[in-house]
Amino acid sequence: MSEQQRAGASGDVNLVGLSKSFGSNTVVQPTDLTIPAGSFFAVLGASGCGKTTTLRMIAGLEEPTTGQVLIGGQDVTGLPPYKRPVNTVFQNYALFPHLSVAENVAFGLRRKGRKDVDGPVKEMLELVELGHLGGRKPAQLSGGQQQRVAVARALINHPQVLLLDEPLGALDLKLRRQMQLELKRIQTEVGITFVHVTHDQEEAMTMADTIAVMNGGVVEQLGSPADLYESPRTKFVANFLGQSNLLDTRITGTSGGYLLMDVHGTRMALPVDRTAAQGDQVVMGIRPEKIAIQHASAADSNGNRNRIDGGVIVDSSFIGVSTQYTVRMPWAQEITVFEQNMERDHRLVPGAPVVLHWNPDHGFGLAPEPATASAAVKA
Amino acid sequence: MTATLTPQTGGSHAGGSHRRATPPAAHQLSAPARALRWLRRNVVTLFGILALAYMTLPNLVVLLFSFNDPNGKFNYTWNGFTLDAWKDPFGVAGIKDSLITSLEIAFLSTLFATVLGTAVAFALGRYRFRGRGLTNTLLFVPMSMPEVVMGASLGTLFLNMRISFGFWTILIAHVMFCLSFVVVAVKARVLGMDPKLEEAAQDLYASPTQTFLRVTLPIAAPGIGAGALLAFSLSFDDFVITNFNSGDTVTFPMFVWGAAQRGTPPQINVIGSAMFFIAIAVVIVGQVRTNRRKQKAS
Repeated sequence: MSEQQRAGASGDVNLVGLSKSFGSNTVVQPTDLTIPAGSFFAVLGASGCGKTTTLRMIAGLEEPTTGQVLIGGQDVTGLPPYKRPVNTVFQNYALFPHLSVAENVAFGLRRKGRKDVDGPVKEMLELVELGHLGGRKPAQLSGGQQQRVAVARALINHPQVLLLDEPLGALDLKLRRQMQLELKRIQTEVGITFVHVTHDQEEAMTMADTIAVMNGGVVEQLGSPADLYESPRTKFVANFLGQSNLLDTRITGTSGGYLLMDVHGTRMALPVDRTAAQGDQVVMGIRPEKIAIQHASAADSNGNRNRIDGGVIVDSSFIGVSTQYTVRMPWAQEITVFEQNMERDHRLVPGAPVVLHWNPDHGFGLAPEPATASAAVKA
Repeated sequence: MTATLTPQTGGSHAGGSHRRATPPAAHQLSAPARALRWLRRNVVTLFGILALAYMTLPNLVVLLFSFNDPNGKFNYTWNGFTLDAWKDPFGVAGIKDSLITSLEIAFLSTLFATVLGTAVAFALGRYRFRGRGLTNTLLFVPMSMPEVVMGASLGTLFLNMRISFGFWTILIAHVMFCLSFVVVAVKARVLGMDPKLEEAAQDLYASPTQTFLRVTLPIAAPGIGAGALLAFSLSFDDFVITNFNSGDTVTFPMFVWGAAQRGTPPQINVIGSAMFFIAIAVVIVGQVRTNRRKQKAS
């Protein structure tokens, strides 16, 4: 308890019924969210889902329509941005073009009235490996270097929370990968709470301890990357993080912790505790890499595995580590399968009849209709 | 690869001696052809030099005649070299007062037009409000209206308002026509400025005042400076509008005009040349400073 309180005093972010409307357009639905101190927290969603608006409300750059923002247990809702213990790394960095790199980094300290800024600035530039470029103007740096300056400029102030608004969006793929690891390293080193807004699911999964997936102004699901990937609770999450095959089913009964179901005439099973829906209609999701594919003539009985007969390969693409198959089901649905390239069966070519099967425990159950707000918000 | 290359090499060897005869011919072009080629290569430079000469020649004539020792009242024909006018630039009655008046008006109208114009530019560039489009259009009126019309109508306005002509009416007129130029120069800069920069400043603990002084103003400064320089030079050499609104106040352009009726002392050329050199010096200092800053940064 006391430890929790102490953590709460340093960098917890609490959003209480926080919402934002522009006129009649509600961008962020009332949201309750706790971001634990010291965590790397990602807010993931497509553009226009309200993730940046949420971040800006934490920074104080946007005034919430309802609700409160608490940082370290203190209500900051009424405070202007320059009085909040947070700093932001902006999309496209927003470095001051008229100031040198060192002066950009020193900006926050100077505004707080510190005179001896040289030491900390040098230290901070070393941390982001730009010690030798303090005299340059931002325009003379590469995109990756500018990005580091933006991080240094924010971190030097030791904010309780660092907000990152799509900080890697302007970088090319290779540099983005590199900076992901770099940011993660810096976060571990300084131990400050990072709130990272991104539309890149891979970025969120690589970096974050906890991800909040936002859609239509609502946090659809909150959890660790593995949680979200293995047990998505909504169709949006199932498809936004990686790929999913979704099968319409009809529940026929239960047996030993499993739901028994009819999938277009085939009996299948799904663990009850992996099903986020009630009723007799459930959509079963299965990740493409969890499905085994076999040529129809080679298929043996697959025991207790969920199994679909009568599929036909319509497309296959060799990716290197794996091969991606598109298989048409007897009921015309197309299912994607990723098969590791260990022992390649050369009969698996377009047109070949195949059998698909998978461990029932790998499936997940979703509500059949697009998730409604009440079912989704458990954040 | 090698198999296809070998016959080609052989082929060029075979025809080599024959083909090698052609390139030297290019060096033995006839004289007119060579001149034409030289012209084609240097035509841009040539036109550049001509254009520069066209622009600076009148200034050089002014400079040359500032050393003239005119025979009589008019300084239009070369009579002999003297430094008299340069040694005594204010040796003509009224010339010093008119120059001081012009400088005062230029400084004040630059100050007012720059402050006001910067504010207008920020309002137009940053905010949406009723009448914004109209303001944007009206800004171009002083720039596009013939000066004679503007001067005359302003004079009529002052007359009807029973305001007596003099220093202040000139100042009001100058602020009016300088304003648009300042707004246009500053607005371009404001529009090109990322509003995120101000948010970043606030995020880094700068209060609104500090944000303006530390971020907004320095970034807009080149635009403001350009607007101010433009305003100064426009005000300093305005004659037409001033002439309608001056009463018995005499600015330097009006002094030159008046002098031209009675006779032109070389001192006019001295002051004209001095202004020319000051302007050039300002430009050169500015250039050198930018270059040095660039070198220091890299």
